[in-house]
Amino acid sequence: MTDQTTDLLGKELTDDEKELLDLYARLKTMSAREDLAPCALMNVRQAMVMLWNVCTDLELIYEEPGVD
Amino acid sequence: MVNWPDYWNPKTETMPKDELRALQLVKLQRTVARAWETSPFHRRLYEQAGVTPDQIQTLDDIRKLPFMTRADWMDNQAKLPLFGDLITRPREEAIRYHLTSGTSGRQPLRVLDSRKDWSWIAEQWCYGFWGFGVRPTDTVFFAFSYGSFIGFWGAHYCCEKMGCLVLPSGNMTTEGRVKQIVEMGATVVCATPTYALRMGQVAQQLGIDLRNDGRVRRVIVSGEPAVPATKRMIEDMWGGICGDTAGMTEIGTIMIFECEKQPGGTHIIEDHFIEEVIDPDTGEPCDYGQRGERVVTSFGRGFIPLIRYRTKDLVMKVPYTTCSCGRTGDLYDGGILGRVDDMKLIRGTNVYPRAVEAILREYSEVEEFQIVLTREDNIRDEITVQIELKPGYADDSWAGLQSKLGKDLADNHEGLRFNVARAGEGELPRFELKAKRLQDLRDQ
Repeated sequence: MTDQTTDLLGKELTDDEKELLDLYARLKTMSAREDLAPCALMNVRQAMVMLWNVCTDLELIYEEPGVD
Repeated sequence: MVNWPDYWNPKTETMPKDELRALQLVKLQRTVARAWETSPFHRRLYEQAGVTPDQIQTLDDIRKLPFMTRADWMDNQAKLPLFGDLITRPREEAIRYHLTSGTSGRQPLRVLDSRKDWSWIAEQWCYGFWGFGVRPTDTVFFAFSYGSFIGFWGAHYCCEKMGCLVLPSGNMTTEGRVKQIVEMGATVVCATPTYALRMGQVAQQLGIDLRNDGRVRRVIVSGEPAVPATKRMIEDMWGGICGDTAGMTEIGTIMIFECEKQPGGTHIIEDHFIEEVIDPDTGEPCDYGQRGERVVTSFGRGFIPLIRYRTKDLVMKVPYTTCSCGRTGDLYDGGILGRVDDMKLIRGTNVYPRAVEAILREYSEVEEFQIVLTREDNIRDEITVQIELKPGYADDSWAGLQSKLGKDLADNHEGLRFNVARAGEGELPRFELKAKRLQDLRDQ
């Protein structure tokens, strides 16, 4: 689980926001692995990017957009 | 039946203005720091201006940063082909390549996008499409050629993400497109304003009444300024409401959109962009209600930082309270009003092609037009408006219309005399993407 407790403006995260952040963190970790089958890695990366989008829209993160 | 909210992202779209400003500051600081660290182009630009990222302490500090221009970008790519040292990542990490349309005859700009960039690009379109009432049950037709020009690419992926049925029309003919829109019961059509009119004209020639034979309830236009009279014509033809959006290849997506309330302007997506309006001559900021040049800072594209980019778009910002939709993003009244360098000086009078179009579109008899500027005897500038009339127009009415149009154009341009000439049926060019309706032949 992520230990982040507030959004970019310092507001407490809701339970849904915590879950989204957690999903993103898990997908991000998996996206960095090189031992997965291509079908797993590329689809995980796509899913990670979708979660990055949500977390950015909801102002939970503002990470380097260029890096997968 | 799902009871969807009105906003794609209620959290930020209705965020109190002071919080929105605080958010923009956080993003601006990080964006400038990243550009400094990863884009040699930006590092040089800021070092030359004597500014460092730590000097950005308030939103107003954005004015410490130098402007970036298209000329800077073109020069950089010319000196360091293909992409210059503006980009922040190795080319191998990109998944998309696009070019500017090159309609102005200049060297096109080349852009690259990462997986995240491309997803973000679609996401901005989601703000706009959702805001204009597009929902997952819609069938969306894209009258777009799907080439290297970025156009509606992002909107296509937006609609897939939203769960719409997407109809890409690629290289179909106009006739084929019109038929498919009707056959498939498309409920949303996306095109340039010019091409939305063109499809309407072709439908009439085919004997198709789009209002009754089709199911289109929304026409979403982009790529050109959409004057109110043109939008009304589109709505009359299609039987659905017409909404304006605007973007640019340099940011990859849209930064403004018209909401379903149709307030006569376009909301700025302020959690993803900072939009400044400046006096194009002095660079000083314009107040609400003052026309000026649009300057954009984007928070989304990782491959290409775009900070204080001078767009040459002519706009007029008005407060968010102008619209009743509840969004706290300010608006550009009338969307993009034209280009700051569009203005033509004819015998001492300023003429904007968009203003001429706004007058001509009030005449239902006008099918297509061209504005031609010439210089007679090397001294006297002349402006001629060539008019192509709708098929079936009675010839004996032309003299009256010609006189009325000439008077109307003159009355709106300090008495400037316009020549009004009639063009034959099908004589004037038609356009799918950006229309070119002005020929300036004075220096030829």
